[in-house]
Amino acid sequence: MATSSLIADVTDNRPSNQEATVDLAGEGRTAASSGLKLFLWALAAASVLGFIGIAFRFINDGGRQEWGYYAATLAFMMTVFGGAPIVAIAPAIAKANWARPAARIASLASIATAMTALMMIPLLFKLPPLTVFSEALGDDIRRTSIWFDSPDYAPHFWNVLILLTLALAGLAMAYLMALPDFAAIRDHGSGWKQRWGKKLARGFHGRPQQWEWLKMRIGVTGAFYFAILLFANFTFSIDFAMSLVPGWKDAILPFYHTISSMQAGIAFTILGIWAARRWGGVSKYVGHEQMWSLGKLLLATTLLWFYFFYSSFIVFWYGRTATDTLTLKLLVSGPYIYVFWTVFLLAFIAPWWVMIWNKVRDSVWGPPIAATMVLIGLFFDRIRLYVASWSAEPDNLELAKLSMLEKMPDTVWPDVFDVFIMVGLPAFGLLGILLVTRLVPVVSLWEVQQSRLITKPIRFMRTHVMLVGKPD
Amino acid sequence: MVTAAEKVSGHKWGMAVDVDRCTGCQACVMACQAENNTTLSTEDVYRQKRTFAWIRIERYWYGEFPDVKARFIPIMCQHCENAPCEPVCPVFATYHNTEGMNVQIYNRCVGTRYCGNGCPYNVRFFNYWEPVWPKSLRNQLNPDVTVRSRGIMEKCSFCVQRIRRGVREAARDGRELQDGDIEPACVEACPTNALVFGDYNDADSRVSVMRNDDRKYTLLDKLNTFPNVVYLAQVDATEGATGGHE
Amino acid sequence: MQQRRILDEFTINRELLRGNLNTPKWWLPTVLGLLVVVLFGFTLMGIMFNKGVGVTGLNRPVYWGLFITSFVFWVGISHAGIMISAILRLTQAEWRRPVTRAAELLTVFSLMTALFFPLIHAGRPWRIFYWITPFDFSRGIFPNPRSPLIWDPFAIGTYLTGSTLFLYVALLPDLGVLRDRTTGWKHSFYTVASLGWRGNPRQWRLQTVAGILLSALMLPIFVSVHSIVSWDFAVTPAVEGWHSTIFAPYFVIGAVHSGVSAVVTMMALMRWLWGWENYIRPEHFDALARLLIVVATGWLGFTFVELIFGVYSLEAPERALREMQMFTWPWNLLFLIFFLCAFAIPVPLWFFKRVRNNIAMMFWTSILVNIGMWLERFLIIVPGLARKQPFVFTWDSYTVSYLEWGLLLWSFAWVLMLMLLFSKFFPLIPLFETKESQLFTMDVKIGRANMPAVIRE
Repeated sequence: MATSSLIADVTDNRPSNQEATVDLAGEGRTAASSGLKLFLWALAAASVLGFIGIAFRFINDGGRQEWGYYAATLAFMMTVFGGAPIVAIAPAIAKANWARPAARIASLASIATAMTALMMIPLLFKLPPLTVFSEALGDDIRRTSIWFDSPDYAPHFWNVLILLTLALAGLAMAYLMALPDFAAIRDHGSGWKQRWGKKLARGFHGRPQQWEWLKMRIGVTGAFYFAILLFANFTFSIDFAMSLVPGWKDAILPFYHTISSMQAGIAFTILGIWAARRWGGVSKYVGHEQMWSLGKLLLATTLLWFYFFYSSFIVFWYGRTATDTLTLKLLVSGPYIYVFWTVFLLAFIAPWWVMIWNKVRDSVWGPPIAATMVLIGLFFDRIRLYVASWSAEPDNLELAKLSMLEKMPDTVWPDVFDVFIMVGLPAFGLLGILLVTRLVPVVSLWEVQQSRLITKPIRFMRTHVMLVGKPD
Repeated sequence: MVTAAEKVSGHKWGMAVDVDRCTGCQACVMACQAENNTTLSTEDVYRQKRTFAWIRIERYWYGEFPDVKARFIPIMCQHCENAPCEPVCPVFATYHNTEGMNVQIYNRCVGTRYCGNGCPYNVRFFNYWEPVWPKSLRNQLNPDVTVRSRGIMEKCSFCVQRIRRGVREAARDGRELQDGDIEPACVEACPTNALVFGDYNDADSRVSVMRNDDRKYTLLDKLNTFPNVVYLAQVDATEGATGGHE
Repeated sequence: MQQRRILDEFTINRELLRGNLNTPKWWLPTVLGLLVVVLFGFTLMGIMFNKGVGVTGLNRPVYWGLFITSFVFWVGISHAGIMISAILRLTQAEWRRPVTRAAELLTVFSLMTALFFPLIHAGRPWRIFYWITPFDFSRGIFPNPRSPLIWDPFAIGTYLTGSTLFLYVALLPDLGVLRDRTTGWKHSFYTVASLGWRGNPRQWRLQTVAGILLSALMLPIFVSVHSIVSWDFAVTPAVEGWHSTIFAPYFVIGAVHSGVSAVVTMMALMRWLWGWENYIRPEHFDALARLLIVVATGWLGFTFVELIFGVYSLEAPERALREMQMFTWPWNLLFLIFFLCAFAIPVPLWFFKRVRNNIAMMFWTSILVNIGMWLERFLIIVPGLARKQPFVFTWDSYTVSYLEWGLLLWSFAWVLMLMLLFSKFFPLIPLFETKESQLFTMDVKIGRANMPAVIRE
C-alpha cells in the first residue's frame, strides 16, 4: 500500500474493554449517592403535585380553555422525549461511530415517551366532538379534522392506537439496545442487578447469530419507531392543536413538530451526557466528541426550526386572507406575543449565536447551555401553540364552518394547578428515566466496546487521527 | 379605510352593482369594448381562450325545475384596497393610486403575468398578440385611451380618462364635482341602472348609500381583498335575499 | 462491498484526463448533433420574440404553463450539486468524491438553463432588465422588493455565483495538473486559469478552507432558492392549491429528489462514455440509491401531508380542485404517471441490492424519477390556475403548443452540450479528490473480516 509509510501506530490511552466492563456493568458502578436519592425524592414529590393538578382539573372541569397548559405540557414532553431516541437510531443507520456512547441516554427517553403517550389518552376525551348540531342551520356541522367523514370516535380510537404503538415501539427499542448490557450485568454484576440482568438478558450470550438477530431487530424497530413518531406528531399536532382553531390550515405543522422534536431530543441528549459526566462517573466514555457532533446537529436543527417557522409565517403573512390574518394574530402577534418572543429568542436566536462559535461547540460546557435554552424555548413554544388553540372556542358554529375564528381569545394565564402540572409531569418522566438508569448503564457498554474494536488512533503524517472502520 | 393620500386627493372612487336590477343584456360589455380600445374577441381569439372582457356578465341558474331563474353578475376589476395583484408585480406596473383605484401602467409592464395569477376574479387580461383592428374600425378607436401593445397586462381602469375629464371640466367651470358627473362607459350604457359609480368619500353619493345597504356583499370576501366594487344581492319575492355569490 | 481499487497517481492522471488530452471519437458528432437542437431552440425563441407569447398554448386563466414548470424543474435539478458536494462534504461521506465535480457542474448549467425560461416567457423580454436588475435606470423606479419574482433573480443569481465559485475553487488543483501536461495555447489557457497553483501546503490549506466555507455558506442559499421558487406560488391565495405553508420544504426535498436522480443519470453516462469503471463504481450508485430512498420517502411524506391538507379544511373549491387533479381526465393519467415514476416504481426497486448495483437499472430509474418530478410541478401549477376560484366562467384548460415542447427539448440539449463542451477542457472527475481518497481510505483487518476504513479528523 502506497500510503502505509505515512501511517504509524500510536499508543491507545482509552480505557480497555475489560476496564469498561468493570466500570459500566460490574463492581465499578457507583451506588446511588445521597444527593441522587434526594433528587429522586424531589422528583417524586413534584410528580405527586403534578397528579394532584391533573386530578383537580378533572374534578373541577371549567371548560376547554383550562386544559391548555396540560395539553402544552404533554406536547412538550412528547417533543423532548419522543425526539431523543432518534439520536440513538439515525446515526446507527448512517453508521456514524461518534454517536455510540450517547445512544443509551437517548434511547432511555423512550420510557418517558411511553409515559407521556399514556397520559395523552385521557386528554383525547376533552376534545370537542367532530360534529355538532347547529340550530341555525338545522343540520349537523362537522368541524375540520384529519378524520374527515369518519365516525365520531375516530380521533379517540386511532389516536389511542397510535400512542400505544409509539409507547410499545419506544420501549422495545430501548430494551433491544440494552440487551447485551443486561447480559454483561448478568456476567459481571452482583446482587439485585445481576438477578435482573439475568432475567432481562433472555439468554443472550453474544453468539454471532444472536448479534445478527439483535442488529436486525434494532434496525427494524428503530425505523418503525421513527415512522410511528412522525405519524404520532402528525396526528397529535393536528388533533390537539390545529383542528381546534377554525381556519388554521398549516400543512407544515406536523413537520414543524417533528423538527423541533429532533431539536429537543438532541438538547435532551446533550444535557443527559453532561449530567452523566457530572454525576454518573462515565466521563471517560462520553464527552467531547459527542458534544462536538451533537452541537453541530443542534445548530442545524435550530436553523431548521427557524426555516420551518418562517415558511409558514411568510405564507400566512403574505397571503393576508381573513383566516391567515386571524391565525397569525392568535399564534404570533396576539394574546401570546411575549411568549412568542421568548420562543424566538430561546429556541432560535440565542442557541444560534452560542453554537455558531467553534470554541463553544468544541467544549463540554457550551452545548449544555444552548440545550437548556432550547428546551425552555420549546416549552414556551408549546404553550404558544397549545394554550392558544385550546382557548380558541368558537361560539358561532356557522362562522366556524366558514373557517373564521370569530373572536380573538384573551391570554390564558396558568393557575397554581397548571404550574403543578407543568412542573410535575416532566419530573415524572425524568423520574422514570433516572430509576431505570439504576439498573441500566447510562453509557452503552456494548457500543463502547464495539466502537473500540473498529477504531484505532494512528499517526498520519504529522497529526494524530482516528482510523474508523466502516463495517457493512 | 382612508389613507392619508386619499384625503389629499379627496376622492375614493367605487362602484355598486345591484344584481337585482341586472338583466344580463351585455350593453356594458359592448360599451366598455368601444370605450377602451380593447382587442376584439373574435372567434379565433375565443378558440385560443384569450378573450378580452374588462367587464363580463356571469350567468348562474338557480331554483328547481320548472321554477328555474337566472342571476346575472357583472364582474369587472374590483379595485381591491388590499389587491393581491399589486405586491406581486416586480416592476410596479400595477399599484394603488391615491383615489382608491388599482391602476395599471402599461409602459412599466414586462409581462410576467404574475398579477394575472394573483387576481382571484380573473379580470386581468394579457395581450398575447399585437392587437389588430379591421380597417373599418380603425377610425373608431378612442383617442383618449392607449392602444396596448403585445406583451402587457390590461384591465378595467374605471374609465380613468372619463374621471380625469370630469374633474378637469368641473375645475374649468369652477364648480364642485357632483355625484353622477362622472360615469364610466359601462355605467352610462346600463339601461336598468344596475351599475352605479361614484365617490365613497362623499357620504351622500349613491354608491356610499348603496354600500351601507343591507343587501351589500363583496366578492370572495374571505380573501380579505376589500374590493371597492360592492354588490347588492338579488331579491327574490318568494325567498328573500339569496345572499352572495358563493 | 467490493474491494477497494488501489490506483497509482500516474494511472489516475492518465485515465481521468482521457477526455481532455485526447478527444473521444463520438465527441464531435454528438456535440454537433446537440448544437443543431440548440440552434433550433434558439430559433424558436426568436419566433417567440418576433410574434409574442401568443405562439405558446397559454391562455387567460392559465397564465403560467410549461415554461414555469420547466423553470422549477431545472432549478430543482440544480439542487444536486450542493446536496452532493456541500452536505456530503460537511458530513464527510467518503463516497461523494468522484461525483462532486459533475454534480456542481450540473448545478451551474441547469441554473443557466432555468434562468432562460422566466425571461423568454415574459411578455416583453427586451425589458427584463427593469425586472431583474436592482437599479433604477433613467426611470427612477427600483424593482418591487415585495414581489416574489424579485426574490427569484436575487436567490438564483447568488446561487449561480456561489456554485460557480465553488466549482472553480475545486477545479484549481486539476487545472494545475492540466497546465503541466499541455503545450501551446492550451498551456497558456490553463496557466491563466490555474491562478498560479503549485500545490504548496499554504495553497492546499487555503483551497480546503475556501471549500468548507463555501459549502457552509452555500447551504442556506441552497435551501432558500427553492423555497423562494415555491413562494412564487404559495403566497398567492387566489389560486386554490397554491396557498400552502408546506410548499417551501416540500419543494426543496422534491428538488433534492430530482437533483440527486439527475446526478445518478449523469454518473451512468460518464461511466459509459469515458469508460471510468475504476472511479464510478457500483458502490457509488449503491450509496446514492440509499440516499435517494431516504429522500424519496421524505418527499412522499410531504406529498401526503400536502394532499391531506388540500382537503382538510372541507372547503368545496379546494376539494373540487384536488378531485380534478387526481381523478379527472386527463389529469388523472398525468397524476398516475407522476406517482408511478416519482415514487412507486423506482423506490421499491432501489430496496434490492441487485438493482442498486446495476448501473443500467439505476440509469433508467433515475430518468423515471425526473419524468415524475417534472409532472409533479406541472400538476401543481396548471390545474390550480385552470380552476382558480368558483367563477366558472373563467375556467379553462391548457394545451401545450409544439413550440413549448421544442423549447423543453432545447433545454435538455443545451445542458448536455454545455456539459460535453466542459468535459473537453476540464476533467469531469476531480483528480485531487480521487488521490486524496486513495490516501484517506484503507483496509483494516478486524478479527477475520477485512473492512474499509476512513481516517477522521
